[in-house]
Amino acid sequence: MADTLIDVKDLRIHFFTDEGVVRAVGGVDLAITRGKTLALVGESGCGKSVACRALLNIVHRPGKIVSGEIIFHRMFHQSSGSGSDASVDIAELNPKGREIRDIRGKEIAMIFQEPMTSFSSMYTIGNQIMENILLHTNLSKQEARILTIELLDKVGIPKPSRLIDEYPFRLSGGMRQRAMIAMALSCSPTLLIADEPTTALDVTTQANILDLMQNLQKQYEMTLLFITHDLGVVAEIADEVAVMYLGKIIEKSDVFTLFNSPAHPYTQALLKSVPKIAMTREALDPIKGMVPNPYSRPSGCPFHPRCPKAFAACKTIVPKTTSLGLHHTVQCLLYEDVTERQATEALS
Amino acid sequence: MTTEAKNEAQDISEEGGVDLAAEIPVMGEAAERFAMAPQWQLMWWKFRRHRLALVSLVVIIILYTVAIFAGFFAPKSADPTELQTPSYTPPGYAHQTEYINAPPMPIHWIDNGTFAPYVYAFKKTRDPKTLVETFVATDTKIRLGFFVPGDRYTVGFSSVPVCPPEWSENAICKLIDPVLGFVKTLAFTADIHLFGPINPEDPFYPAGADDVGRDVFSRLIYASQVSLSVGLVGVFLSLLLGIFLGGLSGLVGGWVDNLIQRTIEVLRAIPDIPLWMALAIAMPPRLDPVYVYFGVTIILSLLRWTDLARVVRGKFLSLREDDFVTAAELDGVPRGRIIMRHMVPSFMSHIIAQMTLSIPGMILGESALSFLGVGLRPPVVSWGVMLNKAIDVVVVINKPWLLLPGLAIFVTILAFNFLGDGLRDAADPYHV
Amino acid sequence: MLTYILRRLLYMIPVMFIISILVFLTIQLPPGDPITKMIENQRLQQGRVFSEKDIEMMQARFGYGDPLPVQYTKWIGNIVLRGDFGYSFYKREEAGKVIADLMPLTIAISLGSFIFTWIVALPIGVLSAVRQYSIADYVFTFIGFIGLAIPNFLLALILLVLGLTTFHTSFTGLFSSAEIQQAPWSLAKVWDLLKHAWVPMVVIGTGGTAGLIRIMRANLLDELHKPYVETARAKGLSEMRLLVKYPLRHAMNPFVSGFAYLLPYLVAGEAIVAIVMNLPTEGPTLLNSLLNLDVYLGGGILLLISFMTLISTLLSDILLAWLDPRIRYGN
Repeated sequence: MADTLIDVKDLRIHFFTDEGVVRAVGGVDLAITRGKTLALVGESGCGKSVACRALLNIVHRPGKIVSGEIIFHRMFHQSSGSGSDASVDIAELNPKGREIRDIRGKEIAMIFQEPMTSFSSMYTIGNQIMENILLHTNLSKQEARILTIELLDKVGIPKPSRLIDEYPFRLSGGMRQRAMIAMALSCSPTLLIADEPTTALDVTTQANILDLMQNLQKQYEMTLLFITHDLGVVAEIADEVAVMYLGKIIEKSDVFTLFNSPAHPYTQALLKSVPKIAMTREALDPIKGMVPNPYSRPSGCPFHPRCPKAFAACKTIVPKTTSLGLHHTVQCLLYEDVTERQATEALS
Repeated sequence: MTTEAKNEAQDISEEGGVDLAAEIPVMGEAAERFAMAPQWQLMWWKFRRHRLALVSLVVIIILYTVAIFAGFFAPKSADPTELQTPSYTPPGYAHQTEYINAPPMPIHWIDNGTFAPYVYAFKKTRDPKTLVETFVATDTKIRLGFFVPGDRYTVGFSSVPVCPPEWSENAICKLIDPVLGFVKTLAFTADIHLFGPINPEDPFYPAGADDVGRDVFSRLIYASQVSLSVGLVGVFLSLLLGIFLGGLSGLVGGWVDNLIQRTIEVLRAIPDIPLWMALAIAMPPRLDPVYVYFGVTIILSLLRWTDLARVVRGKFLSLREDDFVTAAELDGVPRGRIIMRHMVPSFMSHIIAQMTLSIPGMILGESALSFLGVGLRPPVVSWGVMLNKAIDVVVVINKPWLLLPGLAIFVTILAFNFLGDGLRDAADPYHV
Repeated sequence: MLTYILRRLLYMIPVMFIISILVFLTIQLPPGDPITKMIENQRLQQGRVFSEKDIEMMQARFGYGDPLPVQYTKWIGNIVLRGDFGYSFYKREEAGKVIADLMPLTIAISLGSFIFTWIVALPIGVLSAVRQYSIADYVFTFIGFIGLAIPNFLLALILLVLGLTTFHTSFTGLFSSAEIQQAPWSLAKVWDLLKHAWVPMVVIGTGGTAGLIRIMRANLLDELHKPYVETARAKGLSEMRLLVKYPLRHAMNPFVSGFAYLLPYLVAGEAIVAIVMNLPTEGPTLLNSLLNLDVYLGGGILLLISFMTLISTLLSDILLAWLDPRIRYGN
């Protein structure tokens, strides 16, 4: 596909802990369309944060990318005369090497959940933003400073020429997150990954930051990968949605299809558990049970112990990705011909 | 990449998970047990992974066992002059004067192909030219054996009576009396030693002799009673001070906290050894050894309670904000009960770890003071008191075995440090 | 920053006051009146009899015979206002002069061990944390534990014995001969000092180094997985620059505040090692003065040692404020 920016194929990330192996990401296929916003939705601990960090090839010990590809179709750079095939498999790069470091912060930038702790309290925000600029461009310190002030202004920080020299702990949470966005945008990345950027903020600030991000996305023509567990945020910002459960993408579609006709029982349950305005007073319908212990994943379909529509085969057969229409895929046995699967598996 | 990852997975599981794998065959069950296990169980699992801490725990148990039953484990008594009463002269030092400054006797285990341990008796000779005294082994074999009779010794507290006369009407005392009537005090006297010469009067110096012909090995064992207990008693005293003042500081706050914090800062700014020296010298010189012992211990804990107080205060401060404490408060649980039932148990493990790490400082302090001759004094025997004889380099060169108490200190402190480290890690079982 | 330093300086005054009272009480603790004892000693040993006038003079100077608070006031007043530390009856010299002779070498040795401790502990601590569970980590951790477990007086003894038996040199003292020690300072004298001083510095520093390695390792391990490190990594910083600029800088914080307590520790170690190695520093003199009820000398040394450590605490606080903007802004 020509307009795919990042193509993740069968990505598996395992954590080798003393208590056992945790399959944080267990075979994820995901294509992110250039210029669009993809929301990655899931409960905490489902592996969405680990997966998106892998796009920068940042996986912490004892975690490890066990298999899979992350093909990054870079924009063709006129200035660099290197061959026409500019795509690169990020999963194969040395995580400490030059190549991936040139991608990080420049072509793929990231915004983190905790604006409180994601800036170092030892340096001014200006210092930390300029660091990114100086690292990836040939600008002088003076030029970088001017650019930083412009960026701070653009993300809506008042008196940017003064606040550039402030320490992060002297700013409010919203201001810090704005500064974080300014830092991410400083080298005009093609892909911006936002890992729950609004979770730690109050509701009004949340709305402001979301507006800001949408505006900036248009302005910079960025692709946005937005990780969240908040379906309200998804409805507001996303073009496409991928739902993750226990390390797998169990459903993916455009945002309208997902909200109007969710296919996977988990997605259905997720939508039911969200309060809606203008709805008649009725009890919310939370999902039964708890997220299983990461060390003991259920056999078969990972959702079967909590699934209201589970049947016998769900316990043993791992569902495959089934296409339900254009851009709508689901991993659920309800949409698979189970008997055929059982037959083929019995053969092999 | 795949094979590499697999290898690493194997490496890691071999590194950390051996005993877990042995114990828990199925990973799913393991997880279940991990999630459900009570806290002490988790701590034990985590502690057990710290091999050195486990070994150290065993070493420490052995050390204290030997200290408690010192008379049994030591072949001779520590100081014959101490025991000389009109009614009893210990036989073990019949040859004391002939063996002044004697080097260690190598023990031979096999004689004529059978297991029959023996040592050769020493004879003192004087080099005719240099006039230097040396010991040479003679042909006389001194037979050694296990569970041999020797000097009489007492184990336990001979000054603590089991049933004092005024309790004679006590039901338990009446019950005990016909059966164990001969047990008058919390102690027993015996003369059987684990290992030693079969003839109790024979000389036996497995670790050499000191300048009055006493057995260094036996003294080392008796000294452990004092050296090892100073650490425990001192830490116990610091614990009382530390928990009380640290708790007060953390719970009351305000000017009390301020005052205690400033006091801690002042105490920590004073280098310990010079102050200890000054305080130890200030003790009356002709004090009873028991009082000197407690005096030194109190001096040591006067500066060392600050560490524990800081830990306790920090924990109280952070716990005060914790949700479970707030929840208990909102439930109307009385303050005292919140502290004792909710707060203290949640940091007891940290306190125990910190205590274990404080013991080496106490032992080091005691031995440093005694080494300098200002701490414990003879006839009390501690490792530091013994090392005091080795303060001169020339003496050490001629009689290196006098440094053996240093080795004992080293092993003890190493063991306590490892154990404390393991306990500290285990105290946070959820922290990876 | 300036107000912060001033505040800290002001704050030192009451602390020093409390310490001086503690020191005064400590030297007053031994039974027997030191001045009566001194008069007696002088009479016995030298047949020197003090006249009424002499005793009156001493009373005026030391407050001998006055109640304790008056004696304390005179003692501390003399020290603060006139730099008069009193008289050393044992050395038969002005206590101030004895102390002034000892202090430079004492400070030099303590600082030397301090620098040794830092130079060794910092890189090893960082290495152990960054390469956690590597062979180097295990080796250094083990050596660190051994360093912690050897009492420094024992280490000093062992080195002295090794020096005499294996290397046939004496590690005692700080100079090759008494003549050099007496001689005025010259390049040759400094060189001679350096040749001798490294042994006590290493001995004194060993325990502190081992402790500091563990502190550095633990702190850095805590910092290595903080979110701000991830942010910096996502910028594409190289691992080395990342480590130095972010987690290391944060981990320096407890490390630096630790040095407030490192110096008292080193000074205490210096005292006992100096006694074993017979160094011309305050350690042996303090012990002798205390044993001989030479109260003014002993008290003066105790006071100065405490003062030194207070100064080091101040320096570490200032360094902390300079390192960490949160402290500067009073958060």
